[in-house]
Amino acid sequence: MKTRRFLSAGVALAAASLLLAGCAGGGDSSTASNQTDSGGKITVWVDPPRVPAAEAFKEAYPDIPIDIVQIDGTVGGQTVRQAFANFDSAGQGWPDAIFFPSNDDIAWATNSTSNYAADLTDLLPDVVKGYDPAVISFCDIDGQIRCLRNDAAPDVFWYNKAFFDEKGYTVPTTWEEYADLSVKIAQENPGKISGFLGDAYAVNRYLQAAGCPTNDRVSESEAHINMDDPNCQRATDLLDTMQAGNALSTQGIFDGDAAEAGANLVMSPGAVWWGNYLFRDTWKIPAGQMTAVAPLKWEGDSKPSTGNEGGGLWGVSSHITGKQLENTLTFATFVATDPRWQVDLSTGLPGYGPVQEDWLAKIAGDAYFADIPTTQAAFKSALGDVQPYSYMLYDTGSVWTQTVPSTLIGGGSATDAIKAFGDELVNQAKSVGYTIVTE
Amino acid sequence: MTNQLLEDRSATGPTAGASRAADGGTPPKKRRRASWLHRDETVGAWILLAPYTILFLVAAAIPIGYAFVISMQKAPTLVNPKSGFGGFDSFATVIGDYRFWSTFVNIFTLMAIWLPIMIIGIVALALLIHASPGRFGGAMRFIYYIPGALGGIANFVLWVYLIDPVNSPIAFLWQGIGASTYKEVITPGNMPFILTAMLFFQGVGTWIVVVNGGLNGISDEVMEAARLDGANAWQLAWHVKLPLIRPWVGYAALMNLAYGFQLFLEPYLLRQISSGSVVAEWAPTQLGYAFAFTNRNFPAAAALSIILLVITLAIGLVIVTRSGLFGDDRVPRIKKKDRTA
Repeated sequence: MKTRRFLSAGVALAAASLLLAGCAGGGDSSTASNQTDSGGKITVWVDPPRVPAAEAFKEAYPDIPIDIVQIDGTVGGQTVRQAFANFDSAGQGWPDAIFFPSNDDIAWATNSTSNYAADLTDLLPDVVKGYDPAVISFCDIDGQIRCLRNDAAPDVFWYNKAFFDEKGYTVPTTWEEYADLSVKIAQENPGKISGFLGDAYAVNRYLQAAGCPTNDRVSESEAHINMDDPNCQRATDLLDTMQAGNALSTQGIFDGDAAEAGANLVMSPGAVWWGNYLFRDTWKIPAGQMTAVAPLKWEGDSKPSTGNEGGGLWGVSSHITGKQLENTLTFATFVATDPRWQVDLSTGLPGYGPVQEDWLAKIAGDAYFADIPTTQAAFKSALGDVQPYSYMLYDTGSVWTQTVPSTLIGGGSATDAIKAFGDELVNQAKSVGYTIVTE
Repeated sequence: MTNQLLEDRSATGPTAGASRAADGGTPPKKRRRASWLHRDETVGAWILLAPYTILFLVAAAIPIGYAFVISMQKAPTLVNPKSGFGGFDSFATVIGDYRFWSTFVNIFTLMAIWLPIMIIGIVALALLIHASPGRFGGAMRFIYYIPGALGGIANFVLWVYLIDPVNSPIAFLWQGIGASTYKEVITPGNMPFILTAMLFFQGVGTWIVVVNGGLNGISDEVMEAARLDGANAWQLAWHVKLPLIRPWVGYAALMNLAYGFQLFLEPYLLRQISSGSVVAEWAPTQLGYAFAFTNRNFPAAAALSIILLVITLAIGLVIVTRSGLFGDDRVPRIKKKDRTA
């Protein structure tokens, strides 16, 4: 009887302690003191859209042995962060190069507790020089270039030219005009929408474009967040007008069931890669409809003001040396600059300057956009209109997706939603250890 | 006598003789056999226990100890990346976190809805099956078991389809509440109900089989006696069967409670299919996950695990001592009687 009692108590204890399995980990912070050399073999981690890049490299450099690992590409996903926390604790296991699924990942990868991403300033000086400073600025952490940008992803202003021509609407040039027109279109054409609020990049589309300080890195331990800033207020007012006028969808651009809403999108700020990736490949909008113009201005400003949605980052491990490092740098150079990936296969405008023209020329050949010369010009001009934005240890996009859509679906206004977003953002920023400054 | 002594020596050596002398007159043969039996039992017990003991150490005892050690450390921070002894600081970090209480509110809300439905459902269905013997009962037992066989991911994938407001066979329900996208179905307010449905159908079949096992253990004489006394099917179920299967019901409650506190996969994946519209730290285990892998604060993650362990064990102990399944005092009493007789 005692044995049975012991066994049963053991079962209970075992069941209860199962929850420990995922959580117990090492506590030591690692240092990059021991760099290793495999003798040449490299391991790279890529998200699904970047697998062709790694495959193209394999074909171009058959002599370099390479292990291509496909990772969870969810923006704001946690699996890669989890793997790296474990690698950093164990002091081994890192991939040699990675395409970060979220741009925010560069924050922990360069933080002193991880220090995974190598400083490329001196390792790849020529490649770094090929980038427009505005494009590579996202990789510039305290003066060191810690990553390479796969593509530049400034927001341009997309609209459905076929729809606008048919109905006789004028394309807006200011954010205020955009809000007013969106309400008018929604009234006159029920079901037609002018924006998506349910994805992580909506933060960049609206708040970053307004210059609202959500992601302003003061130092490694200080963040500037102030949702009472007038710049945040103008974005909130804009969204309030549009939300009240039924011009916005609470879905996100990446939602599996967003294709129907996508087909009803008549205009929106959106990244350069929306053209091929969303409109053409995901939502299957016919050719000759969607087209882009330069980003919008805020009334009273002289220059357009826009956000940036992703434009992925390649990182190289700081834990390797010798032949392994040499091959990894060859890989990084290939995926960032080589036309065999950047021009022939990539859906986004290359971040690396020298291959941008060839990619832009290619969209003329595709003949997908309604007005190709204007679209090409808009892509180039938008690069310089992107507002400053730092990637932080808190995940602004995830805070957005878990507060804004649910508040709106629950019947709240855009003001309520952005209030909930701001409160949660400050909480998360404090939770990961930042001191918040409001000036 | 000499022969016997020789046999004794050759069998067990001098100790057997010594013990016999000490006992003073008890029949030696019987004693010897008992001693052998006892030793065999001990060795056998340990052999049988070994796989469990090893797994218990690897998967439970050592991780618990490790988590406790880690939770006592100081987390490296941005300002001070040094680690060291931190006492109970991590527990303060966890309890002081702005999400700590809300994760427990979420779990308790779910439990308040799910556990009563689960336990009543298990008991009612098991009693119904037991009251309808023969082919019908067997068929129903099998049918109830089917959703239970869709464990874990398979069950989850099924539910991803069921809560799809466009393609689901129950889409009219979702459209009835005005939802046309995943985000509109998977709202914070709907989460406890969606999880209740998922967990109920996933677990109920298996637990019916377990409780049914308890019902089958009730002796025919007891049932016959009750019937002779004029008990109808309802009285039989309520006054005879239910009290006798109380331990199994308690066990079901315990295991489901423990499962509820360890909920991780379901809210984690619901967040994914709703493209992030559910908070990332819905359940306490998810908060632990965030401590470990977002905040890189392993001590806080370990501390939260310890807190969950203590809660689960405490609730578990209450049910263990109350249900009677583990501390069954009827059986030892019978045994004592056996011994005296």
